Amino acid sequence: MRLWTRVRSWSRAILDRSRAESEMDAELRFHIDAYAEDLIRSGLPRAEALRRARVEFGGVESAKEECREALGVRFIEALVQDLRYGFRTLRKSPGFAAVAIFTLALGIGANTAIFSVVYAVVLKPLPFANPGQLIFLSEAKPQQGIPSAGISYDNFTEIRAQNHVFSELAAAQNHQLTLTGHGDPAAVDTADVMPELFALLDVKPVLGRTFVSEDGKQGAQPVAILSENFWRDRFAADPNVIGSSVSLDHRSFTVVGVVPAAPATLFSPTPIQFWIPLAQDPLFGPWIPRQGLRWLGIVGRLKPGVSIAQAQAEMDAISARLAAKFPAENTGWTIRLKPLQQVIVGDVRTALLVLLGAVGLILLIACANISNLLLARATSRGKEMALRIALGAGRSRIIRQLLTESAALGLLGGAAGVLLAYWGVHALISFLPSSLPKINDVRVDASVLAFALLLSVLASLVFGLAPAFFAAGSRVQSNLQESGGRAGEARARRFARSFLAVAEVTLAMILLVGAGLLVRSFLTLTSVSPGFDARNVVRAEISLPQFQYSKPEQWTAFSDELLRRLQAQPGMRDSAIGLPLPLDAQGAATLGFEIAGHPPLPKGTPETADYVSISPEYFHVMSIPLLRGRTFDDQDIRSAPMVTIISEALAHRYFPDQDPLGKQLIFSFPPNPGIPRQIVGVVGDVRDVSLGRDPGPMMYVPFAQAPLWGAEVVVRSNLSPESVSATIRHEVRQVDKDLPVTNIGSMAGSLDTSVQQPRFRTWLLGLFAAIALVLAAAGIFGVISYSVGRRTHEIGIRITLGATPADVLRLILGESARLVLVGLAVGIPAALGLARLLSNLLFAIRPADPLTLAAVSLLLLAVATVAAYIPARRAMRVDPMVALRHE
Amino acid sequence: MAKQLDLLQGTLDMLILKAVSLGPLHGYGVLLRIQQISKDRLEILQGSLYPALYRLEHQGWIESEWGESESKRKAKYYRLTAAGKRRLEAETEKWNRMADVIAGILGTTSEEV
Repeated sequence: MRLWTRVRSWSRAILDRSRAESEMDAELRFHIDAYAEDLIRSGLPRAEALRRARVEFGGVESAKEECREALGVRFIEALVQDLRYGFRTLRKSPGFAAVAIFTLALGIGANTAIFSVVYAVVLKPLPFANPGQLIFLSEAKPQQGIPSAGISYDNFTEIRAQNHVFSELAAAQNHQLTLTGHGDPAAVDTADVMPELFALLDVKPVLGRTFVSEDGKQGAQPVAILSENFWRDRFAADPNVIGSSVSLDHRSFTVVGVVPAAPATLFSPTPIQFWIPLAQDPLFGPWIPRQGLRWLGIVGRLKPGVSIAQAQAEMDAISARLAAKFPAENTGWTIRLKPLQQVIVGDVRTALLVLLGAVGLILLIACANISNLLLARATSRGKEMALRIALGAGRSRIIRQLLTESAALGLLGGAAGVLLAYWGVHALISFLPSSLPKINDVRVDASVLAFALLLSVLASLVFGLAPAFFAAGSRVQSNLQESGGRAGEARARRFARSFLAVAEVTLAMILLVGAGLLVRSFLTLTSVSPGFDARNVVRAEISLPQFQYSKPEQWTAFSDELLRRLQAQPGMRDSAIGLPLPLDAQGAATLGFEIAGHPPLPKGTPETADYVSISPEYFHVMSIPLLRGRTFDDQDIRSAPMVTIISEALAHRYFPDQDPLGKQLIFSFPPNPGIPRQIVGVVGDVRDVSLGRDPGPMMYVPFAQAPLWGAEVVVRSNLSPESVSATIRHEVRQVDKDLPVTNIGSMAGSLDTSVQQPRFRTWLLGLFAAIALVLAAAGIFGVISYSVGRRTHEIGIRITLGATPADVLRLILGESARLVLVGLAVGIPAALGLARLLSNLLFAIRPADPLTLAAVSLLLLAVATVAAYIPARRAMRVDPMVALRHE
Repeated sequence: MAKQLDLLQGTLDMLILKAVSLGPLHGYGVLLRIQQISKDRLEILQGSLYPALYRLEHQGWIESEWGESESKRKAKYYRLTAAGKRRLEAETEKWNRMADVIAGILGTTSEEV
């Protein structure tokens, strides 16, 4: 109530200024007139009465001013006045303004750009109703080091039936299918889902309907849903698409609806184009009844008021029950819950937060720099301030004015920074790794602008506070006499400037150490041998439609035919098949195995290795060395004895002091699980998951004995990658004109793509560190320049007394070196502490890397010396006569 | 005339509230009323009256309305609001307690310590 009257009187006073003013006038005039009349009545002459009334009332203007202040109008008025004054003073010193605004724009721009990425990727909630309730379920087997695996269909059904914490649970998988009949055959990213998923996410169709539970039954009529983006791109947003049929993997699906693009990136890094019921997927449909096969990703929605910890407690109980009921499949496995948002954002979170921290440091350095500039300016503005104080301005009023001037600077810098960020975000998006989740949401929007504004104001306070207090504290007397430069408070100001320079060195040190570590780690990462030779190798992927190519014989026939044709092309003799290829974006095929005749491992706990199905030429084409035994040959066909080749790591780990050749492995993988395979060779290790991960155990099988519904081709050729790609496309079309070729390109390109994220963060942090270094150098330059100017007199005396130019140089450079050394002394422990945050991003290098620390320290010292050398030269040329007369 | 006392800091607001609690007054009227009930023993700077009135109105303890003065001129009249009435009661009570305490302290003799 009281608040409301206050707001009302305030808003009235501001909005209706002229009325408020005239009423105030009238009221005060009435008072003076009424008093004068009383005085006349008491016998004073009219003129004398009027004079006395006015004198006794006191200053009318100051009374009005106090009235305005009482209404709160005064503050706004002063603010506007100060802002206007601030802009005017900036215009009067364009050099200072340009440097300060540019510095600030750099800091705020970098922060805004990185924040826009962090906001879109990490902070912005998922575009679904109550996204905090969405949970991702997986299973883990800690004792065997499996942090996360899918959930089997059986377990999913049990969890769904037994739990009391989820209002709904639905499973999903994704799979590439071949779309034919709409222009060129295309591989489309398809999500295989349970119908309940749409209701769970609360996704409403743009057109038609979503799935109903009938659609999810085995044997139901095949139906499909289009993603809005794909519907617009490929179907020209045709509303008649509902009810029409599309051919996926040569099976006809009826389109029943179109859904928004929002959930499209939920389950795969590439946007989903089609949605079909899980049971209708040619590959996964038949997997549903298989026990113990962990392959489903599960999304659940928590009931209102249920916490993730409560849900986890119940899942632990269910895990225990499952293990008791089905010990073979579930012993040692536990269900793990994670917020869906966290799963989608994944491990880029750390890298992005590190980058955000880095730009934060840059802004701090920028603020320190501007603070320093302001302090230098305050010296020259001392007289103006003294005059203001002499004229009656209070200390708080002066501070307010200077802070408002800083705010003017901050707002201009912020505006320039937003422009910079707008441009920077565009550059950043093209530079961001395409595997970054939610990358399409990155933009400068209202939240990002609000962040930039907040940052501008905060920065203004940070860089404006110290100079404002110093200015307001200056003593009137000394400044009016224009000898303020040597007064005692100048020492405090000098200390403040040195302190700021040291802080800049410290902050730059932290950034440089971070960048140095990432650069060293990245160089090591890209120079590590992947275990194969990617040069001159072109890769391509062909996925066979399941309904048309349903039998393993057809798969082998296709791959044989394709390989025969490719090898017949000039210059493409070295062609082979390998599935999956190393560093594939979809990851490795990690499978369990047992060693025949070995002391049996407890059932349900198979060891795992990465499985690859290859044609005999594969090792030769990829230049993977054969260490023992033999490679596959044309004799290793389906009817021949089953064979396998293992990697060195597998041999080392499971046959530490025996000869693996002749031993037998049993895999649990279709099409022929449970069949023992004899080990006939050992080959070199390959980093198949990522360059940063040590090679794990691998097992290779002949494609002819273990065919799959598609093939990945590798061709080593001296021809250009373009012409090899063209030939591959041509030959695939010759075999079957309806087959799309995907993921085609040079193997070196795949290698490159696999290090996109580390490269991105390394470049960016390197760039930020470079900016920090330049800003810190500018800070040192400023402080030393100022100091040389101040010490001109002293230097003159020294020269007169016989100091050589070299002595003067030593004096000045020594001052800069002292600043840097103090900065390093603080910076090294700080950098060591903060570098630990990077440890997850580092490859083969420890955060406390002495080489990086030493290199960075030397670099800072060298750069600071160069920065100080410019003013030092000026000091060396001081003419003692001029200097002594100077004061 | 007895010597006038300077106004204790913060007491002007209380006096204004008391003055208008006895009936609506314009600014000059407030001054006269305070002088009248204090029997001219308080020195009030006329110029300081209006900022205080504005502040009290801004805080919602008094409200104003334009009306006609005894001399048939337009004048701004102030009246106590309900919130102002409560405020005055609270201030009065506080003042009395404070005055008692201060008087007690100042009246203490050396034997009583």
